[in-house]
Amino acid sequence: MPTMEIRNVNKYYGQGISRVHVLKDVNFVANAGEMNLILGPSGSGKSTFLTIAGGLQTPTSGEVLIDGINLQKLSPKKRDELRLKKIGFILQSYNLLPYLDVADQFKLVDKIKKSGNVSREAFEELLQKLAIKNLLKQYPSELSGGQNQRVAIARALYTDPQIILADEPTAALDSNLVKTVGQLFQNMAKEKGKAVIAVTHDLRLQKYADHIYELADGRLTEKTDIPQEII
Amino acid sequence: MFLALKEMKHEKLHYGLITAMIVLISYLMFFLMGMMLGLQNENDAAIKEWDTQTVLLNKNSNDNLSQSLITRDQLPAKEQKETALVGQAPVVLKAHGASKESVQFVGLDPDQFISREKLKIASGHKVEKSNEIVVDESLKNDGYHLGDKVTINSQQDKYKIVGFVKDAKLSVAPVIYGDLSAWRNIRGVNNQAVASGVFSDRQLSKESYPKLEHYSVKEFINKLPGYSAQNNTFTFMIGFLMVISLIVIAVFLYILTMQKISHYAVMRAQGIPARHLVLATITQSVILMVCGVLGGILLTFITKLVIPTSVPVIMNWPIIALMAVGLVALGMIGSLLPVRMIVKIDPVKALN
Repeated sequence: MPTMEIRNVNKYYGQGISRVHVLKDVNFVANAGEMNLILGPSGSGKSTFLTIAGGLQTPTSGEVLIDGINLQKLSPKKRDELRLKKIGFILQSYNLLPYLDVADQFKLVDKIKKSGNVSREAFEELLQKLAIKNLLKQYPSELSGGQNQRVAIARALYTDPQIILADEPTAALDSNLVKTVGQLFQNMAKEKGKAVIAVTHDLRLQKYADHIYELADGRLTEKTDIPQEII
Repeated sequence: MFLALKEMKHEKLHYGLITAMIVLISYLMFFLMGMMLGLQNENDAAIKEWDTQTVLLNKNSNDNLSQSLITRDQLPAKEQKETALVGQAPVVLKAHGASKESVQFVGLDPDQFISREKLKIASGHKVEKSNEIVVDESLKNDGYHLGDKVTINSQQDKYKIVGFVKDAKLSVAPVIYGDLSAWRNIRGVNNQAVASGVFSDRQLSKESYPKLEHYSVKEFINKLPGYSAQNNTFTFMIGFLMVISLIVIAVFLYILTMQKISHYAVMRAQGIPARHLVLATITQSVILMVCGVLGGILLTFITKLVIPTSVPVIMNWPIIALMAVGLVALGMIGSLLPVRMIVKIDPVKALN
């Protein structure tokens, strides 16, 4: 059974003449142990795809299944629970709380999800790999964009999610850190059996991906070669 | 609790300002309550000291002790044991070396229950002769001493202060206790007039004094001149302040919540249940209110210590505790406005 399956999803925004068809008959499968890259220009529907995949909003038609469970059939409370347990979101806005230092960003997760988070050793390794171990007492406002991005990635992986949904995860990172994050995602997929889905403009990530998709004008298609115009 | 405390610790200025606002509002409320109780006490301390349950006045007195005059024929033939005749008159007290004071003269029968049991003599002794008086302790501050010879109004007769008594205030004036014959003298009435009112520490039936108007102590106190108007004014002020504090906490938390919408959206996107965020907001409101209210109580207490004794302020701890609980509850109600917003947050906003 695929970890995530998206079947014939359509999403419209607005009504009447201002009605926009953002996602058109989207079908997508993400399996454990694979990294999926979704490329697309601005306005192509990448964020809508990600929010629907993560159960943050419901499609106008079609269905999203996680481990065979149809998200639309879950109550909002159950969807929250599933997101907390199974999905790690890495958002463009870094998803860090400004009034918590880096250590407290992880403590907050412990307070809410009391079990099933990564082990102490795995956490130390994560901090080491992302080079943020010395930032534990810093607040997000004291960190650079790249440091915030890495902390956000660590924060998303801390819950040991089955699915990692990342929105432009390397937007603020230099080439060395892109490599680190790319390898980390790849390891998460290959070694830990996660399903990784990243939507991005960043073609530097393509070499770490098992599947590359293009989202253009609301249609998702799998690509074997990357067209130059996306860059 | 974790989120609430961490945020408050980090945003000290924001939360400090809100707490300061609540401190000031609650300070004003506690102080007004203290003044209300202080003024109530100035009005009715003596009546409460007498453990009054029932008051009887002349039917034409218009509910006013000063305007009531009871004659011998208005009393029943058989005297009630639990009653005391009280002759009252507003007078001016003068003594050499002391300031002129407007006081309430209260004439008592030394054999009846008020004089016998209820007066708390702080120094000296009770009235034994018709030219002796016992005065409220507050008059010490105005230069009156034990043994002083004083004059009342423009009378030639001198009265000797033989004792000081505690909690003797009536209609916002100190009370001086004397003999009923002295009261007659001051009022210029003959022996047919027996008193201004009959007071009892029991509930008397209307039938026991058919020729007199019957009041429960509560009715009598409420009809003291200016008493109800004064209490209503204070009650309205305190009530309005309570409503204002509710609005202040609701508006501040609402604004803070609006500023944090994106943070909440991020947390909701991560699957953090809305109830955690709601709990954090309610916790913050409770912490703000508790700190603000404690600050207000402390300021009221300090003010009471430093203001002149002529400003009557009474800190009644059970009432303060009740008000404090009420304020914290109002804060919780106030936090329901931002809570509604949190529950409705769209986590999709986190990605925009």
